Amino acid sequence: MPFSLRERKNVVVLALLVFLNLLLISIQVPLGSEHTIFNKIIFSVFSPVQRAVVSVGTAIAQTWNGFFGLRGVRVENEELKKEVFFLKQENMLLLERLKFLEGDRLIQDDQAAIRKTVLSARVIGVDASDYYKSIVINRGGADGLKPNMAVCDKYGSLVGRVIEPVSFREAKVQLITDEDSGVSVISGTDKIVGLLSGDSRGGCQIRYVVTTVPGGQEGEDLFTTGYDKLFPPGIKVGKIVAIKTDGSFFKTILVQPYFSYSDLGQVAVLKERFEDLF
Amino acid sequence: MKEILKIAAATLTAFVLYSLLGRINPSLLVILNTFSLVVIFFAMLKGELFGVLLGAFCGLLQDSFSLGVFGVAGLSKTLLGFAAGYISRKMNVFPFFRNFIFIFILGTGELAVWAFLYALILSKRIITGNALIFFQPLTTAVLGSLIFALARRLKTPKT
Repeated sequence: MPFSLRERKNVVVLALLVFLNLLLISIQVPLGSEHTIFNKIIFSVFSPVQRAVVSVGTAIAQTWNGFFGLRGVRVENEELKKEVFFLKQENMLLLERLKFLEGDRLIQDDQAAIRKTVLSARVIGVDASDYYKSIVINRGGADGLKPNMAVCDKYGSLVGRVIEPVSFREAKVQLITDEDSGVSVISGTDKIVGLLSGDSRGGCQIRYVVTTVPGGQEGEDLFTTGYDKLFPPGIKVGKIVAIKTDGSFFKTILVQPYFSYSDLGQVAVLKERFEDLF
Repeated sequence: MKEILKIAAATLTAFVLYSLLGRINPSLLVILNTFSLVVIFFAMLKGELFGVLLGAFCGLLQDSFSLGVFGVAGLSKTLLGFAAGYISRKMNVFPFFRNFIFIFILGTGELAVWAFLYALILSKRIITGNALIFFQPLTTAVLGSLIFALARRLKTPKT
């Protein structure tokens, strides 16, 4: 059955778009994790839309909670007051202890310095194809964000790092659970050093630890080493949940990251890039 | 010009749905691809030309908000838009059950093309999100056929 003129036009448009997509794929493949200008433009145009949608959604949720969900607020408030009280006490005790080690002035300087280098951000989007790979946050170039800045959750555990594209007010963060990520880590007790990357199922693995390396136990904490010159040393990352030696050259060390995906509403960006120190 | 604005509005609809869904619960993005749903819906209503353009835009938008290879979703959704528009113009796929089967087949086909390209280019197995991704065509079919049924009901003049 011959194609009509209209159908021919449609097939030509299809062929052109298929060709365009194949061209984009062939440009992207050699670039690896780098992004094309086309990709950056689309991200920069649409990320403010995402920011607006999430802001409206959050505002509606807050209004709902403020007006209709007040049941239990009084009890929660009392509990929070108690918690704040104890946290203040704890803070005071810790400050007192610190004073034994350092002068008052030094502590205040340290606190001020930390405040300057940490920027809080809100998660406004998740990866459209695999949510364990990346997130989008509501801070961008205008807030001083640059690629390779470390990102932690609200408890100080490592979440990932800022990557391209960084738009004016939004940025993408590669999570440590992404298969293509890499963090140099050291275990807290046996001091095993390895490269941690994600399994894209919410967990992580330490790679390149040969089976002849002794030590390593389940439950051991992992911290960043700083050897990768990306993440500052000493940030807690996760804990070892299983170690397998199945006859291969390297051990299979499974890790549960400390950050919880379901609790990633707010994150902290460490504005001082570790790579700039070298 | 009017058509371009319509395509932009439809793309925006898909993006808003994706943003809202991700805000509510990221797992929902694995079982429902809002971009696919919007592409199928509008391609069936407006034909393959609209479908193919919308598919390309939505696919590239999905690609720019993920860490995969830029163009993979673009290609799979371009083909999806064309197939949805072309077949629905040649066959009557609008009765509820037929509609459900048709969208299910389209969703499965698109997922298969995407997974094939992903595995071929990245040489990695696809992320199934604890097998939730296999429910994507079913969810798209259920929601798509329900939306069409609702649209039909709203369009039918009251006697």
